[in-house]
Amino acid sequence: MSLLERLGRGHLSDREFARLWTTAGGHPHLEACATCRARFEEFDRWVLGIGDELRVDADAAFPIERMAAQQAQITRRLEAMEHPARVLAFPKAARAVISGHSHVRRWVTVAAAAGLIAGVGLGQVLDIHRTVERTARVSAPVSQLAVTTAARANAAVTSAVLTSEDDFLSDADAFSRPRVSSALLPLEDMTPHARDLVDRSR
Amino acid sequence: MSGTSAALTAAREADAIAARTVKTLQAEGKHADARERFAELVGRHQRRASRIAYHYLRETADADEAVQDAFVKAYSHLFTFREELPFDVWFTRILINGCLDRIKARTRRERWLVPMGRVAGAPTDGTSADRDLTERLASAGASPEAALLSRERRQQIAAALARLPERQRAVFVLSHVEGCTSREVSALTGLNESTVRVHLFRAIRKLRTLLASDRAAVPHAELKGKRRVTS
Repeated sequence: MSLLERLGRGHLSDREFARLWTTAGGHPHLEACATCRARFEEFDRWVLGIGDELRVDADAAFPIERMAAQQAQITRRLEAMEHPARVLAFPKAARAVISGHSHVRRWVTVAAAAGLIAGVGLGQVLDIHRTVERTARVSAPVSQLAVTTAARANAAVTSAVLTSEDDFLSDADAFSRPRVSSALLPLEDMTPHARDLVDRSR
Repeated sequence: MSGTSAALTAAREADAIAARTVKTLQAEGKHADARERFAELVGRHQRRASRIAYHYLRETADADEAVQDAFVKAYSHLFTFREELPFDVWFTRILINGCLDRIKARTRRERWLVPMGRVAGAPTDGTSADRDLTERLASAGASPEAALLSRERRQQIAAALARLPERQRAVFVLSHVEGCTSREVSALTGLNESTVRVHLFRAIRKLRTLLASDRAAVPHAELKGKRRVTS
């Protein structure tokens, strides 16, 4: 029966059936119309059928064996509640040798740090001292050279003697000659010097 | 009907006595006896509890755990049980709250994880349903074809039920699967009695629509399948 036909004849809709079913009420049309009464009976069977199907579905998911296992599990859990699980202490971690004496460790740390600082400081002081000495040693010949050069220049001017470049080179060579260690002396002797050339030309 | 209600009253009286006894034994420190007495209550309500949990959670293992939790909680909080309220109502409320908590937790979990087996239109518990199918077919007295049709029908109903809003589903399950009255459903869910009836009405209407559309969709799907085969 189509919806239009149903409406035209004033038959009850599924919505009305659901309302009647829920409230367990009556309807005057239901008493009068055999078609609607039959449809309502079919609707009633359908609703009850759904409940039955759902019950069967749930019961199939929980067979008797499963129910027995569930009950046993519940009993076990209830028993366990009365004997709460004993908490086992976690095994103690192995301790470092001096971990028990924190003040000792602290002293060792402080002494090591102090030693380190003292070492670094002393190193710096010694280094500065050495640098000063070296500077002093290098600057002494340079000042001597300056004094000598000035004296000679004065003398040259006063005596009006020609100052040759050879003399200057010779002096410079003599003063700028590096201090050579004893091991290098033979090589030093073998090396020709400007002063030798000057002497030879004279 | 009067026979049923008389049986229900007798069962409730027995529950009340058992609960009272367990409470007394717990207070006296006779825990073994209390457990033994409580096992009677478990046996009486276990099946019903499993059905309710199953319809809420749609997963056997989850429902199993929810039932266990509810019984354990009921035992440990039995001192809060007021005897003017039926035990089954008090216990079912614990169970439903537990199921709702599990649903919330599952929803949170599923926000991050998508189960492998979940596909559109498939039942939620497809794996266990498939596993159970062979057992059911083997054990059922009906022919395999009838069993398969019946199983499909149940799956359709379960899928339609799963599509109902939470409250409508709860009201429908409690009143139609467990046969609770509107007043009992009201006590169990905390809803007003008239609200319970409204939810029930809407649930029936929606189920009717959903299942009618499923019936209409089946021939269409079959036709599509045939076309695919022939082409």
